[in-house]
Amino acid sequence: MSASILSSAIETKDETVQQINQGLPVVQASDVKTGRLELTADVVIIGSGAGGAVTAYELARKGLDVLVLEAGPYVPSSEFTEDFTESLETLYEDHGGQANTDGDLLVLQGRCVGGSTVVNGCVSFRTPDFIFDEWHRDFGLTDFTSASMAPYFERVERNLSITENGPHEIARHSQIMQRGAAALGWSMKPFKRNIRECALTGHCLSGCKTERKQSMLVTYLPWAAAHGARIHSDTQVDRVTSEQGRATGVEGRVIDRHGKHVADISVKAERVIMAAGAVQTPVILQRSGLGNDQVGRNFACHPSMYVGARYPEPVHPWRGAMLGVYVDEFMHPDNGGFILEVGGLGIAELCMISEPGTGKPFVEYMEKAAHMAGIVTLIHDHNVGEIRWQGDHKEILYKLSDKDFPSMLASLKAAVRLHLAAGAEEVLLPTSERLSVTSVDQIDAVIDRLSNKPQHLRMVSYHPQGSCRMGTDPANSATDAEGRLRGVEGVWVADASLLPTSLIVNPQVTVYALANYVADRIG
Amino acid sequence: MPTAKDTPPNQSDQAAARQVTAPLAAVTRRRFMKGILLGSAGLAVAAGGTFAVLRRSPVDQLPVPDGIQHLSQSEYHLFRRAIEVLLPLAGSALTPVSEVPVLANIDAMIGTLPAHIRKDVASGLMLFDNAAVVSGWHGRRFVDLEEADAVAYFDRWSRGSVIQRTMNTVIKQFVYVSYWRDPKTWPPVEFDGPVSDRWGIAYLGNAPLPEEADA
Repeated sequence: MSASILSSAIETKDETVQQINQGLPVVQASDVKTGRLELTADVVIIGSGAGGAVTAYELARKGLDVLVLEAGPYVPSSEFTEDFTESLETLYEDHGGQANTDGDLLVLQGRCVGGSTVVNGCVSFRTPDFIFDEWHRDFGLTDFTSASMAPYFERVERNLSITENGPHEIARHSQIMQRGAAALGWSMKPFKRNIRECALTGHCLSGCKTERKQSMLVTYLPWAAAHGARIHSDTQVDRVTSEQGRATGVEGRVIDRHGKHVADISVKAERVIMAAGAVQTPVILQRSGLGNDQVGRNFACHPSMYVGARYPEPVHPWRGAMLGVYVDEFMHPDNGGFILEVGGLGIAELCMISEPGTGKPFVEYMEKAAHMAGIVTLIHDHNVGEIRWQGDHKEILYKLSDKDFPSMLASLKAAVRLHLAAGAEEVLLPTSERLSVTSVDQIDAVIDRLSNKPQHLRMVSYHPQGSCRMGTDPANSATDAEGRLRGVEGVWVADASLLPTSLIVNPQVTVYALANYVADRIG
Repeated sequence: MPTAKDTPPNQSDQAAARQVTAPLAAVTRRRFMKGILLGSAGLAVAAGGTFAVLRRSPVDQLPVPDGIQHLSQSEYHLFRRAIEVLLPLAGSALTPVSEVPVLANIDAMIGTLPAHIRKDVASGLMLFDNAAVVSGWHGRRFVDLEEADAVAYFDRWSRGSVIQRTMNTVIKQFVYVSYWRDPKTWPPVEFDGPVSDRWGIAYLGNAPLPEEADA
């Protein structure tokens, strides 16, 4: 069991709960001294991120015996290094190298206790109304409306200290973009974020070392543990077991940080919650032979570009709150279906996002690194992808569709326009070849030359989703409207896999709310 | 020149290598090898011979420093030339390459790659070096190109086939990441690096348990 747990007793109506003030009681590979672990639980939850942690807490406080299995390591906040390259190794799926089969889309996901909530940028949006409308219209999900989900949103917003950025959290790079949006007459708003007393280090993507980000690592997981939930890290679930159409538990392996197989593990449980994320959840289900043919289909991921530009004045994009403001002018699909988020970044990322040219142009670009600022584009992509387990490895089959390519170009043009209105000297396009824009009249000519082909755009996905879609029609959904996996009793999905369509906005609050909704329906 | 690392690959090397080769790692092996084979076949036809080293180079006779553990001789010289071409820092405000173990960092990163990706990287590097003989009709390998030709060669690959675009990105990222990950490169651009400990920021600990109405 991990060390340095500080706790204190709290009286509730029915029990004395041990508040855990610092650290987490986690069984790690180094704690396992036997070659085979055999455990039982009322509920076994696969994954400890946004979906897994919320369901763990909500079910544990109901009095259920909850066991959380996390494939990644337990890394206490004090061990975060604020070095992005090192953090990719310790905190991210496939050590930061997870990508689609074309290799032009990095899919970044957390793989540690707390999951992606540990390494995200804290951005907190409720599900937009028009997204609920799509879910109602296309998937029969009549229970999901802004009004019906409001209590769930309010609950997680309160629990996670979600508030709008104050003036001190609008860093220099965001202030500059406010200038540009004002000049264009575009709507721009401060983000809401799940953070307490932001220390303005700019290292969100490497984990919040001083525990200001209200990730699952410092909120729902210690709360679940306080109510008796057990948490195991380094535990990779191979398959969900079942007999006669009912789930019976899971089987897997305990694997240490060096890849050494330490022990086998089997868990007997009548309820299994899949919360391993939109890539791993369908992979585990496919390995288990569970669910219908929709498992793994309908994958979407908000393919993003980071559009960098050079300004005459110093910006220091690594200083201050990483995410300050966003443009919502084009959010509704009728207006374009994309948003622009103003994001900071560090020096290693800066040399990877753009192609400033070879040799001298690159040196001149990096000499001006402190003058760079960037905008992240997010689009409402169609669910055209698929996750497939191929016997010995997973595949993320996702190509930017021709239906979505115009949205990508529209978002790129808007980002360039915003940079120029904010005073940028040169905007570098996120392409494999050097392409840049220095004036508004160049935008269409340069960007319309781009074609939708592999390895042409440099794209990143921070929001994989939709691979076990919920809905009322088994022909186009993997779960029912309450997250129950079709074809087997006792298995629920409670992560971003559920999302029937992409959200446009950052999905963490939607996932928290849906996980809470699903947990409320598990007896 | 700083010497190569003689310590086992660390986590940072591994992460940097995975990140740099992600485009290559995800491209299906069949597709990548098909691209390599097509490129090789084109070279062989154009050169009227086999794809074994098309042109000998003076650098083939040069030794590789003792500390280099994972790069082959030809790969070492390819990256040595790539560093010269990609990081012409003389006269700039940036930290001189001579103060940063860029080649040693590349060697360490290469050493952490899984075997199948390492094999693809080797094939891609060989293609990049040798294809210069016919691509652009330089008549010599990349390692022997003059600076202007080498820059043009990179730029042409950035606009080429999927494999060419991939290798252009992979080689550049190996060089750039190996340079910029060293803290000595940060002061000239005023990058702050890790700050929480330096600034003495207090730890907040876990959030208090919510006060539940039904508790």
